[in-house]
Amino acid sequence: MIDQTKSTTIPLHLTINGHRHELEVEPRVTLLDALRDRLDLTGTKKGCDHGQCGACTVHVDGERVLACLTLAAQVEGRSITTIEGLAGADGTLSAVQAAFLEQDAFQCGYCTPGQIMSAVACIREGHAGSDEEIREYMAGNLCRCGAYPNIVAAVRQAALEVAS
Amino acid sequence: MTAHNIRHANTRHADSRHGDASDGAVGGRLSRVDGPAKITGAAKYAFEQQLDGLAHAVMVEATIAAGTVRAIDTRAAETAPGVLLVLTPDTIMEIKGASDWLGNPPTQKTYSPLARTVTYSGQHIAAVVAETFEQAVAAAALVEVSYDETPAIVDLSDPKAGDGIPIDAMTKEWGDAEAAFAAAPLRICAAYNTQREYQAAMEPHGLIARWQGEELTIWEPSQWLDGMARTYAEWFGVPFENVRLVSPYIGGGFGSKALALAHSAVAAASAKMLGRPVKLVLTRPQNFTSYGGRAATRQTVTIGAGRDGKIQSIVHRGVNETAIDGMWVEPLASVTSIMYATPNFSSKQNVVRVNTVVPGAKRAPGENPSAFGIESAIDELAHELGIDPLEMRLINYAEEDPEVNKPWSTRQLREAFAAGAERFGWARRTPKPRSMRDGKQLIGWGVAAGTYPVRRAYGEAVVRILADGSVEVESSSIDMGQGTYTILAQTAAETVGVPADDVVVKLGDSRYPRAGVAGGSRLAGVMTGAVYKAATSALDQLVGLAISDPRSPFHALQANTLVVANGRITAPRGDGPDVSVAELLASVGRDRIEATGDTMPANSTAEDRYKNYTTIATSVPHTEGDYSRHSWCAHFIEVRVDEDFGTVRVSRVVSALDSGRLYNPKLAESQWKGGIIMGIGQALLEEGIVDRRHGRIVNNNLADYLVPTNADIPDIEVISVGIPDLHSSVLGGKGVGELAIVGVAPAIANAVFHATGKRVRDLPITLEKLI
Repeated sequence: MIDQTKSTTIPLHLTINGHRHELEVEPRVTLLDALRDRLDLTGTKKGCDHGQCGACTVHVDGERVLACLTLAAQVEGRSITTIEGLAGADGTLSAVQAAFLEQDAFQCGYCTPGQIMSAVACIREGHAGSDEEIREYMAGNLCRCGAYPNIVAAVRQAALEVAS
Repeated sequence: MTAHNIRHANTRHADSRHGDASDGAVGGRLSRVDGPAKITGAAKYAFEQQLDGLAHAVMVEATIAAGTVRAIDTRAAETAPGVLLVLTPDTIMEIKGASDWLGNPPTQKTYSPLARTVTYSGQHIAAVVAETFEQAVAAAALVEVSYDETPAIVDLSDPKAGDGIPIDAMTKEWGDAEAAFAAAPLRICAAYNTQREYQAAMEPHGLIARWQGEELTIWEPSQWLDGMARTYAEWFGVPFENVRLVSPYIGGGFGSKALALAHSAVAAASAKMLGRPVKLVLTRPQNFTSYGGRAATRQTVTIGAGRDGKIQSIVHRGVNETAIDGMWVEPLASVTSIMYATPNFSSKQNVVRVNTVVPGAKRAPGENPSAFGIESAIDELAHELGIDPLEMRLINYAEEDPEVNKPWSTRQLREAFAAGAERFGWARRTPKPRSMRDGKQLIGWGVAAGTYPVRRAYGEAVVRILADGSVEVESSSIDMGQGTYTILAQTAAETVGVPADDVVVKLGDSRYPRAGVAGGSRLAGVMTGAVYKAATSALDQLVGLAISDPRSPFHALQANTLVVANGRITAPRGDGPDVSVAELLASVGRDRIEATGDTMPANSTAEDRYKNYTTIATSVPHTEGDYSRHSWCAHFIEVRVDEDFGTVRVSRVVSALDSGRLYNPKLAESQWKGGIIMGIGQALLEEGIVDRRHGRIVNNNLADYLVPTNADIPDIEVISVGIPDLHSSVLGGKGVGELAIVGVAPAIANAVFHATGKRVRDLPITLEKLI
C-alpha cells in the first residue's frame, strides 16, 4: 500500500538521444511523462496512457518500447532514443522520416513519432520483407487519420533504402 | 510561432526526389509543409507548451448514469501531497451561461461544468488540481462520492426509451409517397441500425489555461478558435478580445474538437481560482464520455419500384438517440432524399432521450448513417429485381436534385461509377450470392455511393510580401491533418508568383485574421478563397508600386502590368528589367506589402463579421441560388468471409470521388483514404457497448473500442473524377474530408451479402451475425 500522505522523489540519470539528463522525480513517474512534462521532449506522444495505441513508442537499447508502460526509473543507465534523436545532427532526415514525408504517411501527425520509431525498429528487426509483414508488425501503432496504406508504402521504401 | 517555420533552418530532406516547382502551384502534389516538424518531433501541439508554475488538473466523473450526487467527501484528497485545489459543484467559481454555436443566447444564467444532477455515466462532478500530474491522479482517486441513484434509460432499445420527440424540421415530403408505395409492383421494407461510434482522435482532448489579469490564454486543440474563444469570453465575462486561443497543430478532431466543453471550463476556472496556469488532459476513458460521438441511429427504408427498377416511392423513418439534457439531431434523410430520382418521398425523424453525454459530430454526421440505409436498401431492391446493383443506381440516376428541383452545380457520379467499375473489374462479378470463392473464403463484391453537401461560409486572411521576397500568410483557421498549411501556401505562392518554399503559413492563433469552424468539409474552400483574395490584393499593390513608384526600375517602362513569377518581376514582353521581388521592394524603400482579404459580402458590419466567425448561423445553404452543390463518390469493395468462422476481411477497395478541383491531390487522396478506413471501422469493428445494468460504456478505451489497425486495411485505390466547380468555391473545389466515409459501410454490407447471402442491417458486421 502506497502511503498517500507522503511524496518521495528519487534522483535519476537518463541518457536520451546521447545526452545525459538528471532529474528528481517520484518513482511512479512514467518514462513518457518524464519525457513530456520534465524534459520538454514532447515529440513522444500520449494517446492512451495504457499501452493500447503505440503513440509513445521509443527505443530503449535499440528495441521498441511503450514509454507509457515504462517507469522512468526502469531505464536508468540504458540508452533511450526518441523521435527527436532520429535525424542527423545537421538536421538530415533519416530514411524512414524522409519516406514518411514523401509518401504522405501521416495527416494530423500525432501518432507519427510512434509510427516512425516502430518503423525503424520494424526494419531493423527484419520484419519489412513484404507489405503483409509490414502491416502485421506495424499493427500496434494506431492511426485514426487512416494513413495506413501510405505508412506501408513508406516503410517499404525506407526498408529498400536501408538495405541498399 | 508555429514550429514548422523551422523547416528552413534545421531540417533537410535526405531525399530530394519529392517535389518540383510545379508541385507548389494550386493543384500540385506538394508534400506537407508542416511535415518536417511533425516527423522530427518539433511540432508542439497545443497542450505541450511548457509554462512556469504549471499545475495539473484531473477530472472526477460520475459512476452512475442517472441520479443525484448526495455528497462529495474531499477531505482525503485535499490533504494528499501536492494538492492545490479540489473543485466540486459547491466550490467552483461562478461561471456564466454562454450562447450556443448558432449564437442563441444562453438559456441559463450560470453554467455548472460540475454536475449535481447526473444524467450520464462519466459526467464530470469534481476535479483535483495538484503540483504534478501524478499527485493529481492519486488525489482524484481519493475523492469519495455518494449518490442517490435512479433508473437510467441506457440506450434506444431500453423499454423506457419510448418513441421520442418528433423533429418537424427534419420532415421532407413531396408527391404522395404512401399511395405510390401501395401501388408499386415491387415493394421492400427494412430496418437499418448504426451504433454509438466515437471519433477516437489519437490526441486526447485537453488544454492549458492561463490568466494574466483579465486576459485568458488557452492552448487547446481546436477546430474552431474563434467560436471557442467566444464561449470562454462569455463564461468568464471578459471581452472577446481578451481571450486568445492557440492551437498550432491538432492531433485529429473528426468533428469532436469544435466546442469548448465542461472540462475546458473547469481548467480555466481553476487557473483563475489558483492564479496559476493549469493543464488538464482527459484520460482516454474520459474521452468516451466527456463529449459525444456519433449517435446510435435506427432507420426504416421502404421503397416501391416498378419491374423496370425505377423507384416510384421512398418512405423513410428515422430515430437517433440524444441526451437527457442536450439535443443532437443526426439528419438521417440527408442522402435518402437526394441520391435517386424519386417522384414520391416522405421522411420523418424522431429523437429519443437516453442517459448519455449529448452526441456530437463525427465525420459526415447525418450523411453517413443516411447512406447506410438507402445504399443498403437500393442493393436489396436490385437483388429482388435481379438487376445489377450498379445498373440499378444508373436506372435511378438523379439528373437534378429531386428535393429542391434544382440542377446540380456539378455531379460526376456517373463518371465515378464508370471509372470505379472499370478499375475494380466490376464486369467480372457474378451476380448470385455465394457464387465467388477462393477455397474456404467466400468472396463478395459490393458497390455503394456517397455524397456530402458543399457547405460555404466566409473567411479572412492576411498576406504579406516581406523584404526578403518571401510571403507570409496568417489566419486563425487550423490544420488537423487536412493540409491547410500546405494548400494555403500553394494558393499564396501561385497567386503572388513566388515558389511555395518561400511562403510561410501561420495558423492556429486567434490573434490572426478570423476564420469560422473547420467542419462540414468547408475550410479548404473558404480559406483558399480568402487567401486568393488577399494575395491578389497584395500582388496588385506590388505591381502598382513597380509601375508607378519613380524609384522602381520599371517606372520608365510605362507598362500597364507586369509579370510576377517564381519570385521575379518582368515586363510581359520580356523587354525590360528582370528583378527579384526583394530587389523591387528595396528599390522603392518598402519593407513589406500587406493585404487583408475576406470573402464576406460587401457592406458587412463588424457585428456581421463577429457572428460569421464565432457562430455557424451564417453558413450559406448548399441549395442557395440556382444550384444544388455536393461532392459525390462511388465505392467498390471486395470482402473475403471465412465460410467456417464468419470473419470478414476487406481485401480490396477502389473508390472514385468527385470533390471538384483538388487543391493538392496528394493530400486529398490521403484524406479520402482516411475516410474510407474510418468507414471500414464503422462497418466491421466500431460499437460503443453499454453495460445495461449501469448505463456505462464498458469498452471506453482503445483496446476494447476497436478501431482499424494497419493489419486490417488492404491497398486502397482512389480516383479523382472531379471537375472545377466554381458555383461551390472561389477556386473550384468541393468538400473532401467527410465525403469518402459516406457509403463505405453499405458497400461492405452489400459485399458481405454478395459473399454470404446474408443481409446484415445492424452495424458492425461481426462474425456472430454471419454464422
